Amino acid sequence: MINDKESQKIVDIIQNFARKHSLWVLAYGTGCGAIEIPPTMTSRYDAERLGVRGAATPRQADVLLITGYLTTKTLKRVIRVYEQMQDPKYVIGFGSCTINGGMYFDSYNTIKALDRYLPVDVYINGCMPRPEAVLKGFAKLQELIQAGKADGSKKYKENLEWYRANQKEVIPVWRMPEFNW
Amino acid sequence: MEELKKNIVNKITGHFADAAVKAYDGNRVDFTVKKETIPAILFYLKDEMGYNHLSHISCVDWIEEKEFELIFILWSYTDHIKVFVHTRIDRENPVMDNIDMIWRQANTYEREIKEMYGIHFEGLEAPEEFLLEDWQDMPPMRRDFDTEAYARKTFWDRREARADAQDVRETITKRTGEELPDVAKKYTR
Ligand code: SF4
Repeated sequence: MINDKESQKIVDIIQNFARKHSLWVLAYGTGCGAIEIPPTMTSRYDAERLGVRGAATPRQADVLLITGYLTTKTLKRVIRVYEQMQDPKYVIGFGSCTINGGMYFDSYNTIKALDRYLPVDVYINGCMPRPEAVLKGFAKLQELIQAGKADGSKKYKENLEWYRANQKEVIPVWRMPEFNW
Repeated sequence: MEELKKNIVNKITGHFADAAVKAYDGNRVDFTVKKETIPAILFYLKDEMGYNHLSHISCVDWIEEKEFELIFILWSYTDHIKVFVHTRIDRENPVMDNIDMIWRQANTYEREIKEMYGIHFEGLEAPEEFLLEDWQDMPPMRRDFDTEAYARKTFWDRREARADAQDVRETITKRTGEELPDVAKKYTR
């Protein structure tokens, strides 16, 4: 006889195994780094062998890939997109622009640190990262999912106020609906 | 080519007394006129001389001289010559005539210049916002706008680079035992 906790553990392992092998990526290129996605997806690097493939709409997607700089204007859309995605959902920050502003560090309308506004599970550095690095990033994300540590969306739910305050700091006129779980 | 250019210069200076000419090599002629002459000279170039393609409207901030410079770049498909029409307007009170009845696409350029430099085009009919959304500061392409200070104020301070940043080349040479080429040595820390 196994108790509930242990059976939950086994269910989790199976669930995480399934999740990590079907990462559907929302095809929403925000910055110049998005140009590395086609070679990653096509035959040369063939990301689909890891279960990584494009999804058409946010509601079908598991991974939001932020490919580079985000202007405050795009950030609004990205926030809405992220909040529309269904759990489980993960965010990958791609390129140095998402980490510390990269070469747009003194730009008047790009955000400098993505994790102040959205919960980032994996960062891939480089300007721009090569497809090998992108695949490494996905492999890392799979590792985290298997270990049950890719809990960005949980973090977002718990610290929603903090994220909201940061978002509203750079989006002065908030015309979006308040999110309601 | 030279004859065509001479022809343009003669016609324009004949019609517009305030047009100062600056000739360049190749297929380019520059005129500088007063701001009141702009609609007339553009109409003339388009209707009489066949310069019916507006390539761009550009703007330069001459902050030391307290002026904005607007540059209208025209192209003729028959002559294959670029005509640049320059004009200067006051920086304190930047008002310009709207020319989007001459070329419809001028509307887009004017909206952009309005947003980026704060130049007011009289009679321009367009929505308020173009590229920037909810912008509340001074127009960002003006030279007295300090973009780095603004970024520091608005966004979080920039993260430092990794403290252990090391030269990848040295690590690789150590691993493979290769000799670093001289070209690369120059740039190695
Ligand atoms: S990190 Fe480099 S490649 Fe990526 S968006 Fe920024 S500037 Fe472009």
